[in-house]
Amino acid sequence: MTVDIREQGGSVVVGLEGEIDLQHSPAVRKALMDLMFERRDVVVEMSGVAYIDSSGVASLVEAYQMARRNGSRFVLAAVSAPALRVLQLARLDKVFALAATVEAGLRG
Amino acid sequence: MHVEEKPVALPATLADDLDLIAEMTGDFARSRNIEETLRLGLEHIATRMDAEAASLFLMEADSGELVCRACFGPADVAGLRLPHGQGIVWRSVLRNSTELVRDTGDDPDFAFRVDTRTGFVTRSILCAPLAVRDERLGAIELFNKTGGGSFDGDDVRVLRALAASAALALINARQAAAMAERQALSRELALAADIQRAMLPQARPAEFPIHGINLPARGVSGDFFDIVELKDGRLAFAIADVSGKGMNAALLMAKTASLFRCLAKRLDGPGALLSAIDAELAETGSAGMFVTMIAGTLDPATGRLRLANAGHEPPLLCCGARMVRIDEGLPPLGVIPEMFAAGCPESEIDLDGGTLYLFTDGLTEAEAGGRMLGAAGVERLLARHRLRPAPDRLRAVVAEVAPDGAVLKDDLTMLVVEDCRRAPLLRRLYPARPESLALVRRAVAGILEGLGLPAEIAGDIVLAVDEACQNVVRHAYGPGNSGDMVVEVRRESGRLAVDLLDFAAPVDPSRVVSRDLDDVRPGGLGIHLIRTIMDHAEFVTPPRGAGNLLRMTKRIEPS
Repeated sequence: MTVDIREQGGSVVVGLEGEIDLQHSPAVRKALMDLMFERRDVVVEMSGVAYIDSSGVASLVEAYQMARRNGSRFVLAAVSAPALRVLQLARLDKVFALAATVEAGLRG
Repeated sequence: MHVEEKPVALPATLADDLDLIAEMTGDFARSRNIEETLRLGLEHIATRMDAEAASLFLMEADSGELVCRACFGPADVAGLRLPHGQGIVWRSVLRNSTELVRDTGDDPDFAFRVDTRTGFVTRSILCAPLAVRDERLGAIELFNKTGGGSFDGDDVRVLRALAASAALALINARQAAAMAERQALSRELALAADIQRAMLPQARPAEFPIHGINLPARGVSGDFFDIVELKDGRLAFAIADVSGKGMNAALLMAKTASLFRCLAKRLDGPGALLSAIDAELAETGSAGMFVTMIAGTLDPATGRLRLANAGHEPPLLCCGARMVRIDEGLPPLGVIPEMFAAGCPESEIDLDGGTLYLFTDGLTEAEAGGRMLGAAGVERLLARHRLRPAPDRLRAVVAEVAPDGAVLKDDLTMLVVEDCRRAPLLRRLYPARPESLALVRRAVAGILEGLGLPAEIAGDIVLAVDEACQNVVRHAYGPGNSGDMVVEVRRESGRLAVDLLDFAAPVDPSRVVSRDLDDVRPGGLGIHLIRTIMDHAEFVTPPRGAGNLLRMTKRIEPS
C-alpha cells in the first residue's frame, strides 16, 4: 500500500494504491488528517485501490467530516470498482463528493 | 625532543634462550604437525645445550607408558617404550623434577639396556619433565655434554625453562587440534541434520488428511515420519523410532526411512511392508539396535485405514470426545525375524469422521509441568487443542512440551491422520493480528474462485470475512494480549458457511449491534457490511474450549 502526496492546482492530490486494510489504514488516516489540520483542499485519487475495508472507509469518513467543519474541499476521484462497491455497500457513495477524474475533482 | 633508543643488553645466552623459546612457541602455533614440530624443537634444544644426543618422551594415554616421539643424535630410539617406573625419564616424570646425572655409573636407576642395544655410550644425563600444572605430558632427556664433562646446575635451569615452554606449546597445539576436530565434527553433524530434515516430507496445506512434525533432541534424530502418495489415490504413512540416539541411530533411521519410501509403493499393505523392512534390517543387522514402527495406508475416499504396528506406542483414535488406543501389534523390527516372516497382523479402522494420532515415546515421556506426560497426559493435550487445524494442533502440542525450543530429552515425532471427506473447503489458523488479514483474504478468495463464484459476490464475501476477522483482531483479546483465530469455509446445500472461531473470553452478542445508518460513526461499519453482504451472521454456541464462534452464511446457488 502506498500513499503519494503531491501539489496540483492549489490543492493536494493524495494518491492511494494497493490494499487499504486494518494493517495499512492508520497510515492513510494520518496522511489525510495532517492535511485536514492544515485546512487544505484534498482530492484523493483512488484508481489504484485494489481493496478497501471498513477501517479504510472510516479514515475517509473522518477526513470528510473534518473537511466539512473546516469548510475545505474533500473529493474522492477516479474511484476503482472494488472501492466503489464498498462505498455502495456502506451507502456512503451518496455521502462523499465523487469525481470521475483527478482533473474533474480539482475543478470542483 | 629526540629520544635515542638504546637497546637493553641481555646476556648473550639468555637472549638466545628467549629467542629459542619464542621460536618454538611460534613453530607449535603455526604447525599442524605436532610430531614434526617436536622434532625441530628437540633439535634446537639439543644444539643450544651442547648435547650429543636427545630424546623426547610423551605419555601414551592408553598404555600409560612413556614413548619416544622424537630423537636427535647418532642413535635412533624413536618408538622406544619405557614401561612405568623404568629409568631416569620416569624418575623425572614421577618426581616432576629436573634430574641431573653427572655419571651414569653412579646412578642405580640408569637403564643400561638401551645403550647396549644402540651402541651409544651414555656418560651423563639431564632430564626435565614436560608438565603443565598437574598434567604430565612426558620429558626431554639430554645425553652427554659435547667435548666431555657433565651437564651442570646452569644447564638444569636452562632446560627446565625450555621444557616448561615446550610443554605449554605442546598442550596449546593439542587443544587447538582437538578444537578443530570438534568443529569439524559439529559441521558434519549439522550437515547430517540438514540431510535428515530434507528426508522428511514437505509440509502440506492444512486441508490435507495427514500431517507430521519431528523435533530432534539433538542435531540428528532417531525418529522419522513419512507420507507417500500411492497411485490408486491412497496415502501410505509411517512413524518410527530407532533405539538409541545420536549418529548411529540417525544412520539406521535413514536406512529404515529409505526402505519405507522404496517399498511403500511396491508392496500391498502395511503388514507386508513391515515384514519386508524387518527382513531387510535383520539381514544387515546392527547388533542390539531395533526400530519401533507403525506403517499404515489411508483411503481418503472412504476414510478407511489399515495399520500395522511393530513395537511402537499404541496410536490413539479420537472420535469426538472418545479416545481409543489401538493396541494390536508385534515386537519391534530387527529383534525376532521369525515372527514377521510368518506375517504381520493389520488393524482395519474406519475413521468415520475421526482422527488418528501416532507419536513416538518422545511425546509420552516428555515433561509438562515437571511431570512425565504419559498416555493420559497426551490425551488431555490433544483434547485441549482439538479445535485447531491439524498442522497448528501439532505445533501447539509440541510447544507445550518444548516451550520456546527447550531441549528435549528424546526425539519427538507426531503424525495426525484425519478423515477429510467432510472436511471444510478451508480451515486455517491465524494469529489475530492486522498482518494476518491479507493472508485470510487471499485464502478465502482462492476458495471462492475455485467455486466459480462471480467476482463481485466473491469480493463481497471476502470483505465480510475480513470485517469479521477485524473484530477479533481489534477487540477479542484486549490490548496487549495476543491470540489466534480459526477461519473455516464450508459449502452446505447451496450455501456458503464461514465460521470464525477465537479463543478469547465470550462476548455478549447483544452488545454487537449494527450501526444506525444515519450515524457515520466508523466503529459499527464493519458489522453493517457483514449484515449487508451475508444472509445470516450470528454468534453460536462455541465448542468447549473455544471463546466465540461467529457463523456467517450466504446462499450461493438458487434454491
